Amino acid sequence: MRPTTGQARRGDLALLWHQVRYEQLSFWRNPQSAFFTFVFPVVIITLFGALFHGVGRSSYFFGLSALQYYVPTIAAVSVLGACYSQLAIVLSTRRQNGILKRIRATPLPAWTYFLGLLAHCIVVSVVDIALIVGVGRLFGVPLPTHWAAIAVALVLGAACFCALGVAVASLIRNAEAAPAVVQLVLFPLVFISGTYLPIHSQVIQRITGILPVRPFNEALMGPFAQHTGFDWSALGVLLAWGVAGGLIAVRRFRWDPRAG
Amino acid sequence: MANAITVSGLAKSYGGVQAVRGVSFTVGRGEIFALLGPNGAGKTTTLEILEGFRGRDGGQADVLGLDPGDRATGRALRERIGLVLQDIAVEPYLTVRETIARNAGYYPAPRGVDEVITLVGLAGQERTKVRNLSGGRKRRLDLGLGLIGDPELLFLDEPTTGFDPAARRDAWQLVRSLRDSGTTILLTTHYMEEAQALADRVAVLSDGQVVAQGTLADIGGRAAAQTQIRFALPRGCVAADLPAWARPGVGPAAGPEAGDLVAVAVSEPTRALHELTTWALDRGLVLDRLTVEPPSLEDVYLRLTGPGRAATTGGTRAGGRRAGRKRAGERTMT
Repeated sequence: MRPTTGQARRGDLALLWHQVRYEQLSFWRNPQSAFFTFVFPVVIITLFGALFHGVGRSSYFFGLSALQYYVPTIAAVSVLGACYSQLAIVLSTRRQNGILKRIRATPLPAWTYFLGLLAHCIVVSVVDIALIVGVGRLFGVPLPTHWAAIAVALVLGAACFCALGVAVASLIRNAEAAPAVVQLVLFPLVFISGTYLPIHSQVIQRITGILPVRPFNEALMGPFAQHTGFDWSALGVLLAWGVAGGLIAVRRFRWDPRAG
Repeated sequence: MANAITVSGLAKSYGGVQAVRGVSFTVGRGEIFALLGPNGAGKTTTLEILEGFRGRDGGQADVLGLDPGDRATGRALRERIGLVLQDIAVEPYLTVRETIARNAGYYPAPRGVDEVITLVGLAGQERTKVRNLSGGRKRRLDLGLGLIGDPELLFLDEPTTGFDPAARRDAWQLVRSLRDSGTTILLTTHYMEEAQALADRVAVLSDGQVVAQGTLADIGGRAAAQTQIRFALPRGCVAADLPAWARPGVGPAAGPEAGDLVAVAVSEPTRALHELTTWALDRGLVLDRLTVEPPSLEDVYLRLTGPGRAATTGGTRAGGRRAGRKRAGERTMT
């Protein structure tokens, strides 16, 4: 009989790194996910750059230039795509294909799998934001200076939207329906949160202030354009949504395509 | 040495339907054990309880000394077992080598990545993307994922469904060589020849219950069962002309027409055959289409899982029962 004990497990961090590496490989080789995560926001910011680069500071953009406003909002929407949309679609597809069940059959702990996905999504988000800031720079938008506040907003925002993505993947059964459900929730929310057009209505602002997208825009806008640093109240709202998404995910997530 | 698997009184319901009711069996270390049964008999549910995918409603289960329903020891158990599930599920954008290497990283003492690739017959395909593999090759890759952790116990859920005959022969060879190197294997199948080719012992499931278990030689009283003798009723003969023991074997539609098939089960085939051929030779008759068959595992299986089986419990999975009945009907001659 072969020995069954005594072999050391990999350290948690080594296992996490292993997992992130293969998530990255899968992601970068999938032309669809790369396209929607990178090409779309880069095209939008380039388009806005071409359209608005002459529009200076105005009260319409809350005292910012048009592009100072759009670089953080488009950066935020790219993080939504990389975290929320990607995870909801990828996880429901993997569940339907039985890939999640196959993962569950291995000794890989569930928390390592999800932490690996989060780290992967943060890496993709960082690349996304760098691209958008780069395009903004080409159109004369000054580089942000408060990187610590940007990093905190990015990590918290990514975690929040990953949790919400997993929550949505937990609530939908059918992988074919996933993209539609994701967009149905996201598009109106992004629109009224001022991502593509500044919203001046007090009523809408009050509503979107407690939904996750506008606080994320604000948390990025401060350190990106207004040099105000940490926006604690916005970060607090993100944290609350992240916790809510996490709770739904923990309670409702299923690995098995057929589990009732 | 302790058994690899001990199951007793296992029960599981979905909604109001009892999928598994009181299943008990043991699998010894280093043994190939097959769970046989029609679709819906409870094979996969039983397997999934033992794999830790499903909870159980009742009964005891011990897998390698651990309780598969205990989440605290789940990781420790999964480090020691390998699984090949019914559906092929592999990431499309990784290569063959990357897929195996990724899963190798999950185990404390995996087999060599190249060794496993060679073992499942994918040498030369290491750099092929999974999405470009044929269905049969994906299945081999899936088997490789079950082996990479160097499991003590391997679960195979209908491992060769959809294989062509050559691929099936290869897979059987691999399963036998794994057993010979000390791996315990629990497999489910509805192919009789697969159980016949591989299993040291089998349990037949029907309607969520074990209706028979044992070695292939004696399952379901197979050793004591009767031999089938079949022949065409010679031209010009009627049932009354036959030796007395063969007369009941003439089918209900048999009359004086030539060519009616007589099928009769006998417990002393040597004597019966001697009497039959003597009878024919004495009369100058020829016995066309004469066959003598021991009871096949399939006959035993169909008898056990078909409508005439002794345990008359209410059918909860009508689909599976009906399929078994139809197949049984096609073969009934006696």
